[in-house]
Amino acid sequence: MTVSRRELLAGGLFLGGAAAAMQFPFPRALAAAAASKEPVVLSAAEWKTVEAITARLIPTDHEPGAVEAGCVNFIDKALANEDAASARLYQAGVQSIDAVAQKRAGKFFIELPPKEQDAVLGALEDGNAEGWPEAAPPSPLFFGQVWLHTLWGFLAEPKYGGNRDYAGWRVLGYPGGRHKLGGYTAEQMMGEAKLDALWGEKLPRSGRGTPQKG
Amino acid sequence: MPVDIFDVCVIGTGAGGGVMLKELTAAGMSVVALERGPHLSTSQFTDDELATMWRDTLFSPEQVETYRLEEGAASETGRFNSIAHCVGGTMTHWAAWSWRFRPDEFKVLSTEGPLEDASLADWPIGYDELEPYYEKAEWEFGVAGNAGANPFEGARKKAYPNPPHPPKVSSESVARGARKLGYTPFPTPMAINSQPYGGRPKCMYGGACQQFGCPIHAKATPFSILIPQALATKKLDLRPDAMVFDVPVGKDGRVLGARYLDGAGNTHEVRARHVIVAGGAIGSPHLLRLATSGLFPKGLANGSDQVGRHLTFHVHNLVQYLTDETSMHWTGLESHAAIDDLHPSDAKRGFIRGGVVGEINFGCKLPIAHGLGGVGFPDLERQWGAGFKDYLRTFPRVVGIASILEDLPMASNTIDLDPEVKDKHGLAVPRITHRQHPNDIAMLAWYDARMREVAEAAGGKQIWAPVVPHLTNLSEDVGMKGAGAHFHGTCRMGDDPDASVVDKWCRAHEVPNLWVVDGSVFPTSGGYNPTLTILANAYRVADHFVAEAKRQKL
Repeated sequence: MTVSRRELLAGGLFLGGAAAAMQFPFPRALAAAAASKEPVVLSAAEWKTVEAITARLIPTDHEPGAVEAGCVNFIDKALANEDAASARLYQAGVQSIDAVAQKRAGKFFIELPPKEQDAVLGALEDGNAEGWPEAAPPSPLFFGQVWLHTLWGFLAEPKYGGNRDYAGWRVLGYPGGRHKLGGYTAEQMMGEAKLDALWGEKLPRSGRGTPQKG
Repeated sequence: MPVDIFDVCVIGTGAGGGVMLKELTAAGMSVVALERGPHLSTSQFTDDELATMWRDTLFSPEQVETYRLEEGAASETGRFNSIAHCVGGTMTHWAAWSWRFRPDEFKVLSTEGPLEDASLADWPIGYDELEPYYEKAEWEFGVAGNAGANPFEGARKKAYPNPPHPPKVSSESVARGARKLGYTPFPTPMAINSQPYGGRPKCMYGGACQQFGCPIHAKATPFSILIPQALATKKLDLRPDAMVFDVPVGKDGRVLGARYLDGAGNTHEVRARHVIVAGGAIGSPHLLRLATSGLFPKGLANGSDQVGRHLTFHVHNLVQYLTDETSMHWTGLESHAAIDDLHPSDAKRGFIRGGVVGEINFGCKLPIAHGLGGVGFPDLERQWGAGFKDYLRTFPRVVGIASILEDLPMASNTIDLDPEVKDKHGLAVPRITHRQHPNDIAMLAWYDARMREVAEAAGGKQIWAPVVPHLTNLSEDVGMKGAGAHFHGTCRMGDDPDASVVDKWCRAHEVPNLWVVDGSVFPTSGGYNPTLTILANAYRVADHFVAEAKRQKL
């Protein structure tokens, strides 16, 4: 099957978003669940594999990546609550990605070197991973869900269990929401005065935001 | 307020319904307002991006529609727009761009002549009839702007009530690029307080407007203005969590009131002398189609088979670029600068009609939106890995430009009832059938090129058109998905009962005490955000309604 990036995005959104959310009453127990950093839905092995996937999606460099931000914890807590409908997709996906790794190198996914892991993930995204079981959900669906969840876990408010110590927002240079903190001044909007980030840093940092080709 | 029969039942409390319930209670009428969503409070208005923008747990968590490209095609189930189900309607989370349509936007058929496959039409009213009501809407909602700064606007008698908002780096960048190309940038007129006004405070420039509720009422909305005013009259019986599913008709062909389901699924009925349907261009035809009877087997006021047709939702187009400096895009309002030079229709461009272009931060103002918006970023092959992380680090330097373009109406683009999918009450959900007219596609491509020129002139190094779900709406295979919140058509106003649903006063041709007052009455969509025109038209209808009531002519 071919799944365009656009369908993937939309599919991931609808899967993880409104359609799944509809099945759950309000208010949610998400914040409470996020208080625990232990696995709630994922098994210990699944946790390790999902964490390894997130580590390649937003890697650690001179700044924190998905691992330090706790994206897998965000995912586990989302699967315990709003996105419970995706729990089976994760189970099947983890088994299937290991099947791909076994076929490729006779190893589990977490045992592969980073470059090999990237090759596997690229094949999952493109829907042409050798060894992905016929009976499993399409690999782009699994990839898209983990991708969206990792992004959310990196960049959503820390109360959901990811973005630990504002790791994701620090990477972006986003100072945090101002809805209940008094907003910005006209001088700040024109870049003539620094902003206070939620973690106390003065932003913007000089030299930030310079793109490097990856 | 125990009454057996209300003077008026208003269904929907957004821009159209909000104005009607406020104006009619002010005139002393008893009004019952039925709103399918809850009555929220400002304490619920966070800037939690995940909950509000992506999970949408606050404004319309139960929204579900189906969508298909054309009759006979398979439909998919989901949500294909970002309307809000709550007291005050979608304006509760609007960005507050506030335009008057240009005079020719009311006369598209006579301006352009007929066009194949498009159901072009003239409005039964013109700019001059609406001008005093634009003024009223601007002053009731405290629009901030610089009157006369847009050389392409229709004639106005009065300035805006509030001065424009101060600029930010990103809006200055867009304005600089536009000026280099010979365009005339001006402050985007916004219904957000630039100074204390109407008992509401000045904006604090927190940055989370579009898709978010304003925690301090600086943003002008029915929730913050009209509902409290109407409640203060003691003439309003406001009933949230009331999903209307039927508007029963008596033997004399007049509607009797409305039947609705409360949050627990219990059925209630209210009686009223007049019923005003204001559910928006999806909700209103949806209700009229649900309300079948012996007299109206195809839906209420649908003897002409016009209910649900001619759906338009604008062509939104987005281009982003990076500046050398920190752009501060995530602060302030969604838009501080706009140009209208590209708006006037010119068939020599390869298409008719056009639209406004403005600075916009919707696709980048928050972290997750920025992450999703990396699709299409130059030289970024995959949306993950080291390159993607570098892309994430560009957040402080993004600037966005959007165009809001007049899409053409087509009779085959419709809202009707899905034959299979039901909501939690067991009611058929709205089915959207929509294919883009070729004119829309040509227009999109042309504006994309012009916006890229502005980005280049502004010094943009990387320029891209991101794919952000909920914002961009044209794709290779689906023309509708994520069409934002601009919906029009589906209950056209017109003089011909065979070609429209309501007359020039928004009164149903086929039912004397039934009115439709919202964006669904727009015969054509205009190249601007529609809300100020919905408000102005509602003020016009309300004036007429009250005058006729005084003359005992209703």
